[in-house]
Amino acid sequence: MNTATRLMNMVRRALCAALAVACLIAVAGPVLAGQNCEPRRPSLDSMRRDLALAASVAAQLDGMAQRDGTRVVLIARAGQDLGQYGLRYSHLGIAYRDDAALDGRGAWRVVHKLNQCGSSRSALYRQGLAEFFGDGLHVHEAGVVVLKPELALRLAEQLKDDGVLTALHEPRYNMLAYPWSGPYQQSNQWAIETLALLAEPAVTSRAAARDWLRAHDYRPTTLQISSLTRLGARVSSAHIAFDDHPFGRRMAGQIDTVTVDSVFAWMQRSGLGGAPLRLRTLPLDRPQRRGAVAI
Amino acid sequence: MTHDTSRRCALRALIGIALAPAAALLTAPTHAHGADASAASSLSLSLPVAVLSAAPVMILSAGAMLTVVAVEASASGTVWLLRRVSDGATASLRFSGEAAAASLVVAGTAISVTAIAAGWLLSVAGEVICLVPNALGESLLYNERIR
Repeated sequence: MNTATRLMNMVRRALCAALAVACLIAVAGPVLAGQNCEPRRPSLDSMRRDLALAASVAAQLDGMAQRDGTRVVLIARAGQDLGQYGLRYSHLGIAYRDDAALDGRGAWRVVHKLNQCGSSRSALYRQGLAEFFGDGLHVHEAGVVVLKPELALRLAEQLKDDGVLTALHEPRYNMLAYPWSGPYQQSNQWAIETLALLAEPAVTSRAAARDWLRAHDYRPTTLQISSLTRLGARVSSAHIAFDDHPFGRRMAGQIDTVTVDSVFAWMQRSGLGGAPLRLRTLPLDRPQRRGAVAI
Repeated sequence: MTHDTSRRCALRALIGIALAPAAALLTAPTHAHGADASAASSLSLSLPVAVLSAAPVMILSAGAMLTVVAVEASASGTVWLLRRVSDGATASLRFSGEAAAASLVVAGTAISVTAIAAGWLLSVAGEVICLVPNALGESLLYNERIR
């Protein structure tokens, strides 16, 4: 093969590679259009439904607090349809009742971690239920797991301490972060690593939190994701990376990550919490347990 | 937190929701995203500080139609002067500090009022532009970045 032929082959391969990447980006573009955080106003109907759910969940949690002394729950929203992965919920936070809020009237607050508009960074927030459920929902319901009382007691006051909440926060964000190592941390992962920190005084690092989670039999979800899909996601999305996953499992398309559904199953299995509940919007004059359906 | 501060925070948060609702729930099932759909409403972090300067609750009856009489922007904030179409009753809604509220409506804009459990939703052509929370609404609203 002469030099000219070799050059032609190199150019051809480069063009093919460029074309492949361009196609991936073209395919990815429309479905990722929501991540640039351009201002968009919600429809009247969606906002009404979001706020109705927030109000109803607050009332149902208040009912559980009065009836059972519930102070702390894991709380989840269904921000998108993950049915094809066998998942119901997309995002997890830790909710607690702050009795001192609103001049002593009290209110439920949610601490959680949010990705910043599709970037590779994230931050922690303390929000009300309106904000938590106001980010666009696929299904208007809340997933809730009540922590066992002794665990809830340990968490209740610490959840007001920003220093504690930030202790294990890693701002480098990867939506599909590997749970057992690596430089990244996704939102659900922050929640359970922080749960470990709050539950066990000996946990003072992410590595120790991971050890605690393993010791308590937490099992992540394994998503089957093809190499082409991985490439497309990596090329087009700053908030998705796969380089933290073990090489063998990555090449096999097996991506382990922390999901709400895996956390809920683990809480019940380990005895750290109760059975997952599904809270739907109820009329506010009927906020009691009839709305809470065990999953 | 005082009542005024609470209301200010509530309105700021709600307008945050109003302006940036979709906040990038990233994903597409075809993309394998979504195990952790956790995009922030970034605009809720930098939205207008809104304050009710004169309680307009009296004109916020369900189904009411309001007209924007004037939008007054100044260094201290933006004020919407509103008039109820049915009887001419007026009230003002003030957004302090930031300019975004000034661009949401112009004089002559027709605003619909929808009463909900958490307060009143103000909308234009089916899109929510503001929520005026009642006590329940205030209890649902809070937005604080943890550092």
